[in-house]
Amino acid sequence: MNNPHHLNPTSLKSRFTTRFLRALTKIRAQKPISSSSPTEIFRRYRRIKVAADKSMAYSVRSRRIWSRAMLWKLRSRSYRRQDPCSGRRSGKTSQAIMKKSSNENTTTRREDGVGFVEEADELRQLVPGGETMNLCNLLDETAHYIKCLTTQVQVMKKIADFYSF
Amino acid sequence: MDVTLLDRQQATCPLELCASSVPLFQSYLGSGPIVELKRPEAYLSGDGFHEFVYFPVGGGTEFGDSEKLNLVPPDAAPGYCISRTSSCQMTAFHAAAMKEEREDMILEKMESTPGSGSRESFTKRKAEVVADRKSKDKRIKGELEGESEVKTKCSTQVSRNSSKENSKACEVRKPDYIHVRARRGQATDSHSLAERARREKISKKMKCLQDLVPGCNTITGKAGMLDEIINYVQSLQRQVEFLSMKIAALNSSAEFNVENLPIKELPSYVANFPAAAKLPAMPNLTCFQLNSMQKEAVNCMLNETMHPPLTATEGIASASVSIPEQALSSSTITQLQPFSTWNMDPQGLYNLYNMGFH
Repeated sequence: MNNPHHLNPTSLKSRFTTRFLRALTKIRAQKPISSSSPTEIFRRYRRIKVAADKSMAYSVRSRRIWSRAMLWKLRSRSYRRQDPCSGRRSGKTSQAIMKKSSNENTTTRREDGVGFVEEADELRQLVPGGETMNLCNLLDETAHYIKCLTTQVQVMKKIADFYSF
Repeated sequence: MDVTLLDRQQATCPLELCASSVPLFQSYLGSGPIVELKRPEAYLSGDGFHEFVYFPVGGGTEFGDSEKLNLVPPDAAPGYCISRTSSCQMTAFHAAAMKEEREDMILEKMESTPGSGSRESFTKRKAEVVADRKSKDKRIKGELEGESEVKTKCSTQVSRNSSKENSKACEVRKPDYIHVRARRGQATDSHSLAERARREKISKKMKCLQDLVPGCNTITGKAGMLDEIINYVQSLQRQVEFLSMKIAALNSSAEFNVENLPIKELPSYVANFPAAAKLPAMPNLTCFQLNSMQKEAVNCMLNETMHPPLTATEGIASASVSIPEQALSSSTITQLQPFSTWNMDPQGLYNLYNMGFH
């Protein structure tokens, strides 16, 4: 089928779609299709959610603070699952890094002076890696994160539509 | 502090009014940061910040309506005025009364025989100014805020009469304040300018975010905007969870093999679905032929991880509205037209899908 309105192959959407579909096929291949107990479905849901986040983070690479933070979180989680000892180690380093960066950045947070500390903190919790950002960066990252989330939702919606028929 | 300010005041501004009125004010105020009265001309000579409290000395012609109440830190350099602006809620009668009061006051000051009644009210107002100023000290110190921010702050202050000309005057004076601050040897120049630049950057970014987040054109103010942004991000994250759950549930009941899909072609195919297709509400999932167990799983997942599906649907609907439509070729549109309806029977759509790929 020749589609003159081809999607840009290097766009975020196409990168995310290819990765996510590959992950989905892997997930489907792992488990037999017939199993439909609630726990199985729940486990698959978790896996799909992680795959979606991972696909999005890998599509953005390390260009953004939030993607770096998300990739780092995913990697440390996978390390923890593979090897409990390495998990402990990575846990310690992660705590050290977070403490250090939060110490550095509590001062920047206080110096914001715009008076939106509560909302800003709430936003920091939502955006991955947001604890280490001052307000300026936080707003940038939020904008890009929103753009990526909308892309993710759009693609997943179409995939879900696809699957449902 | 009061004394030093007095001295500086008298040294730099040899106005009779000031010299005579300041001690009177002192007596009225008692202790506390000094509140000085100045002629508007001296005020216009370039002193002071654009955050100030001003009591007009001149005649009643200068009274008018404006919305600013600017306060200035007590340790500001000499020659700053205290000016008071009023909100527009003042009735004409009240305004006139205040005008008269103030004129009386000022005349009495000049004659140094103040009347008791006006003095009391004047003292009360002064006390309020002082209290207001004290509460705002910490915020104002070292900060220079933009005019708009000052206005939003001051619109909630006590209403007073003042002149629009004075507020205009302080706007005109804004470029001069840099020289004034340099003259006074204040080191906060670069900091305050940097602060201002930062604030402008932040407001620019907030505007960009306003374009991204749907339905926030009506909201003014940064706090409301941030709340909207937070809600939107939360709703998007919930949508992702909901969709992944849906894919998980439907995955197990899919009739065709995903492996047969040419993966490279799929992205463009997926992208060409009509973007307006909306996710059905939870009750409509029955049309996807879920068996009872799957429904159960879906239910407990929803209860566990998400808010009621109505909000998810609303969020999804709004998101689909905000997502820009992809360009569709005419051929694919005619092929995919049935996809936009949910009532299509699954077999027919399956055939269509096959046609699209072969």
